[in-house]
Amino acid sequence: MRVPSGAPAAEVMSDMAVLARGDFLRAPVLATARPEGYKEWHHFAVHRPGWRLLVNFSLANEPLPDRPLRLVPRVIVIIHQERWSGVVERFTDADLHVSADLGSVAIGRHSMRIGPDGYRITIDSPERGIGGELHLTPVSRPFVVTNQPAGSGRLSWLLVPRLRATGWFRAGGVEHRLADEPAYHDHNWGRFRWGEDFGWEWSSILPSNSGDPWSLVFTRVTDRRRLHSFYQALFVWRHDELVAVYRDAAVRADSHGLLARPPDCTLPPPMRLVLGGEACDVPESVEITGTRSGEVMRAEFRPVSYARLAQPSEVDLDRSVVLCETSGTAHIRGVVDGEELDFTGDGVFEWLHG
Amino acid sequence: MVERAAGAPIESTTRSVVGVLRCSLEHLASEVPESYRHLVAELDRLVVEVVVDGEVFTLRTGRGRVEVVDGRAAAAGASIATTRATVLDVLDAEVALAEAVESGRLDVRGSLDDVLRAHDTLTAYVHAAIRASSVPGLIDALRNTQDGVR
Repeated sequence: MRVPSGAPAAEVMSDMAVLARGDFLRAPVLATARPEGYKEWHHFAVHRPGWRLLVNFSLANEPLPDRPLRLVPRVIVIIHQERWSGVVERFTDADLHVSADLGSVAIGRHSMRIGPDGYRITIDSPERGIGGELHLTPVSRPFVVTNQPAGSGRLSWLLVPRLRATGWFRAGGVEHRLADEPAYHDHNWGRFRWGEDFGWEWSSILPSNSGDPWSLVFTRVTDRRRLHSFYQALFVWRHDELVAVYRDAAVRADSHGLLARPPDCTLPPPMRLVLGGEACDVPESVEITGTRSGEVMRAEFRPVSYARLAQPSEVDLDRSVVLCETSGTAHIRGVVDGEELDFTGDGVFEWLHG
Repeated sequence: MVERAAGAPIESTTRSVVGVLRCSLEHLASEVPESYRHLVAELDRLVVEVVVDGEVFTLRTGRGRVEVVDGRAAAAGASIATTRATVLDVLDAEVALAEAVESGRLDVRGSLDDVLRAHDTLTAYVHAAIRASSVPGLIDALRNTQDGVR
């Protein structure tokens, strides 16, 4: 992928200084000040025709009997090549190293570093058959949303909707060379407990044609049954600039049908023992409509396959919450500020069902 | 199992299935005591006889704990017979538990109530294990040893 024609690349690069200031790790301060329920993660998605890569650096405060809460680091890699597969690696706090400027984090042999030219990620787990070096350069400006409700807690996030990924990644004995592939990043932090009465839908849509200047992100936080929405928004970027935000009543998301296929994989795999079954509530399609000043934007996403990631409930000893990581195609049509959009994109949708 | 606890202490005496099971139960009792108590409550008075390849052992509760006793049970409510390969395939999600039973790779016998209680106990064990930091390392130990030395 090239920087879309007309994009002010130099300006975006200068914004990297802003990004580096804003995208620092919060845990050393916030998790120390008030440890209960604290969670934080850096999430990256890289798109390539027929291939998706999700990388997640996660920290969560977890209790241990007779000891203070401690940060448990995890690195999650989920990859789609023909089908989804993945690895969840859990480490101890002794394996976690955070730089003094809070811009770099190393978890075991894995690392993520924010520098003046973007994010550099190293994944190194030969015993699991995965490894790679990624350099992700933002081509759009970041956007921050703070203190949104998640059960009894709050969640904040920083989005970088579009980046260019270069480097290589190896999984399942296959090595992929990445050359300016479209990518997405979000960074989330807050205090909440898995298993409380909330769920979310989170999606990134990037055009299949690198010349298309549009990028979309949709987020919605709901109750567990998805009957009540606490927060929802559709964001639209043109080149590096956020040009439209459809919030709450100005946006609606309708799900249709159910995807008639089982998950490609369950992570961690032993959780298949307790999740059981092959039924899912990943929809067959989702239609997101934003309306603003008489202009309408529609994004229709059709999931193709998905991976199931289970998180133990922090509320019930015998329950889990499930995140479905879904890949598929999206068709976008609409008008923004008088300019017509009509393009097909690659989407990664995440459904969290509490 | 692909989740692991880097640096988790793994006992050198856990190369057999029964050794891994005993070690994991000790870790559950110390690391996730609430989940462990739930596991004990689910097993309750049921006695389960387990045969994995050549290993025979019995699960039962006693003194508020899950006890793993070598040998056959005098009066088991449920009996399970399988192989180490099947255990690993199920843990790795290569084979669903129901598929393992239907294909005969995992044989379960007992009254319906006892089999259901055994299943509830297994579910409680998995929920506890997924919350404990050291159990994934134990499963790696099970995977990486092929002999049955205890």
